[in-house]
Amino acid sequence: MKKTEYIVIAFVNNQVSVLNRITSAYLKRHINIESLNVSESFVKGISTVVISANTSADTIEKVVNQLGNIVDVIYVDYYLQSDLICKELGLYKIASVILDERSYFEYILNRSNGRIIEINNDYIIMEKSGTRNELEKLKEELEKRNVLTSYSRSGIVVLHRESIENMFQKVS
Amino acid sequence: MKNVRGTEALLLSLLEEGVDTIFGYPGGTIMPLYDELFDYKDRFRHILVRHEQGAVHAAEGYARATGRVGVCFATAGPGATNLVTGIADAMLDSTPLVCITAQVTLDKLGTNFFQEADMISITIPVTKWSYQITKASEVAGVMAKAFYIAKNGRPGPVLISFTRNAQLEMTDFAYAFHKPVRFMERSQNLFKFSLIDKACEMINRSDRPLMIIGQGVILSGAEKEVIELAEKGHIPIASTLMGISAVPSSHPLFTGNLGMHGNLAPNMMTQACDLIIAVGMRFSDRVTGDVTKYAPNARIIHIDIDKAELNKVVRADLPILGDAKTVLEQMITGVLFKDRSDWMDFAREKWEMENASVIDRLLEIKEDTVSMAQVVDEIANAGGGDAVIVTDVGQNQMFSARYSKFNKSRSLITSGGLGTMGFGLPAAMGAKLGVPERQVVAILGDGGFQMSVQELGTIMQSQIGVKIVILNNSFLGMVRQWQELFFDKRYSFTSMVNPDFLKIAEAYEIPAKRVVRHCELKDAVREMLECPGPYLLEVVTEREENVFPMVPSGASLDGIIY
Ligand SMILES: Cc1ncc(C[n+]2csc(CCOP(=O)(O)OP(=O)(O)O)c2C)c(N)n1
Repeated sequence: MKKTEYIVIAFVNNQVSVLNRITSAYLKRHINIESLNVSESFVKGISTVVISANTSADTIEKVVNQLGNIVDVIYVDYYLQSDLICKELGLYKIASVILDERSYFEYILNRSNGRIIEINNDYIIMEKSGTRNELEKLKEELEKRNVLTSYSRSGIVVLHRESIENMFQKVS
Repeated sequence: MKNVRGTEALLLSLLEEGVDTIFGYPGGTIMPLYDELFDYKDRFRHILVRHEQGAVHAAEGYARATGRVGVCFATAGPGATNLVTGIADAMLDSTPLVCITAQVTLDKLGTNFFQEADMISITIPVTKWSYQITKASEVAGVMAKAFYIAKNGRPGPVLISFTRNAQLEMTDFAYAFHKPVRFMERSQNLFKFSLIDKACEMINRSDRPLMIIGQGVILSGAEKEVIELAEKGHIPIASTLMGISAVPSSHPLFTGNLGMHGNLAPNMMTQACDLIIAVGMRFSDRVTGDVTKYAPNARIIHIDIDKAELNKVVRADLPILGDAKTVLEQMITGVLFKDRSDWMDFAREKWEMENASVIDRLLEIKEDTVSMAQVVDEIANAGGGDAVIVTDVGQNQMFSARYSKFNKSRSLITSGGLGTMGFGLPAAMGAKLGVPERQVVAILGDGGFQMSVQELGTIMQSQIGVKIVILNNSFLGMVRQWQELFFDKRYSFTSMVNPDFLKIAEAYEIPAKRVVRHCELKDAVREMLECPGPYLLEVVTEREENVFPMVPSGASLDGIIY
């Protein structure tokens, strides 16, 4: 069966055990979660859960129906990457030797739209937001240069092009 | 407003919800609740079981027989984990339960405290909802929500973990019934009326429709509507294992049971029909066989209250999300009568085939032996179809489903989805306590009986008038049947050396009799049914009897053996 990345967005009551119930629906069908992000939504007491996983269209539909049965899930649906604006934040810890090649460093900074948030004798910490691919590309480039000492990504933050919030407000 | 302890708030909440029977077992962490219960002895009937698994199965039996929510209590740790099998059983069979398990004090959670088991995590995949009460002030609101969720929409089990500190704290008590939660509104009657018109049109156009009913019909109380619709349109009805008794066995449009060990007619009709009207059933693999070859010529209308069931196993041409009763009520006016005598003749033909090749043979009297089918048949004849039949799992279950007769809904109580051995005896206790005016007969295998044999103690102590029938073939019969048919008769660990069941009954002061020959059966069954209290009837049956027809596991319904 062809697998595609599906992004599930759920609005849930901010309560103990809700996340376990959600991940349990993936576990039941032996689906590996690639990325998971929980944050407070624009409504107090209600969190947004964003989960990305690779599976088939048929399976994700059934998973979402089962997620819909969870009492504390208020609204849930699934999307393709292309339906959504998906951004991640990446943090890069870069050895300060990179400053020896000043022009290269500036080139990287400009091209990647990065921002320096900390700098000292040993390292530079740079942040960059973008799609996962963009973040990964920069990571690979820095690795090739042998200057990347640490790297972390936030997990996806999403906004639906046709505003999930509107749908959600209809429901709530 | 009354200021009460958390434990009293819990009992008051149960009273508000109309609970009168609790199945339970005490222990250290739940002692405050049991101490409170001592003062409420006149308002609750607490049944002290012999194992917590007995408590939860009894609560299931009670719920299934009455349509009310079953309630059980267990202490923290091992008491609570002993409930898990029954909770999983209730989840798959949509049985409304509220299970209350004690938990260690809030500030000790997560420390591996004595008898600490994280029941919320353990039961997440097998509960409809669960909640850990850590403050006494939460009790009333949470209990109202628990009962609402357990019984509304598609019913199911709810687990409430009650920490010791919350049991002991004082709180102000005021009760208010739960108002629908958003998710419940989502799962009820969202269908558009245009769907009803479409469904009626599909039915009216069909020459060979088959209405398949599941337990959803019983849960929504749609028995009358099913019959009305079927009669109005002249549509044959078939039942899943869980739907049995929703329609009287003798109804002329009732064609029998579906599934792996169902009847020939409805299984073959599934393959030959041009339209399936599925009501409150979930196309379980036991019903569909090889799903890719299921009902090849049929369009499908699927009516269910659980959105997750629609299009889960088979794609429906017309899925209708709604309560069976409401949807059928709407459909009745639109369905027109059509003479489908040819189609009914098809059913009759298949019945004749099944009678000739299976039923007549099994019911044929041999002097020195008794067949399991004969026992069930005799009980059905003597009980006149009015008894509640509770089964265990295995051949006893399939024979009970096949040879019993039912006049009334909620009369077959069986573990369908999970197939839980050990279910029968405690479920029968719960059923009898729920409907004391009815005859309740537990039909059990010698294996399954011994998985819950300790509950005879409960039956003795609480004088529960269940009739216990053990079909003793000295085998784990259903597994042996599969070994015979699919594993070259290699009977690997299925033969059993059994104790003297009459002595066991005697030890528990339960009148008992053993039957070994057919000529003894009739009188023994009559004596059992006439006995006012509990009774145990052991029937030593043919050792290697098989249940047929049978759709081998994974085969299509066309591959039915009979
Ligand atoms: C708890 C549990 N363990 C194992 C099984 C597998 N199993 C299904 S039927 C069966 C045999 C049951 O034997 P018995 O209770 O003697 O009934 P019979 O089939 O002979 O009527 C077994 C072992 C099960 N369903 N449940």
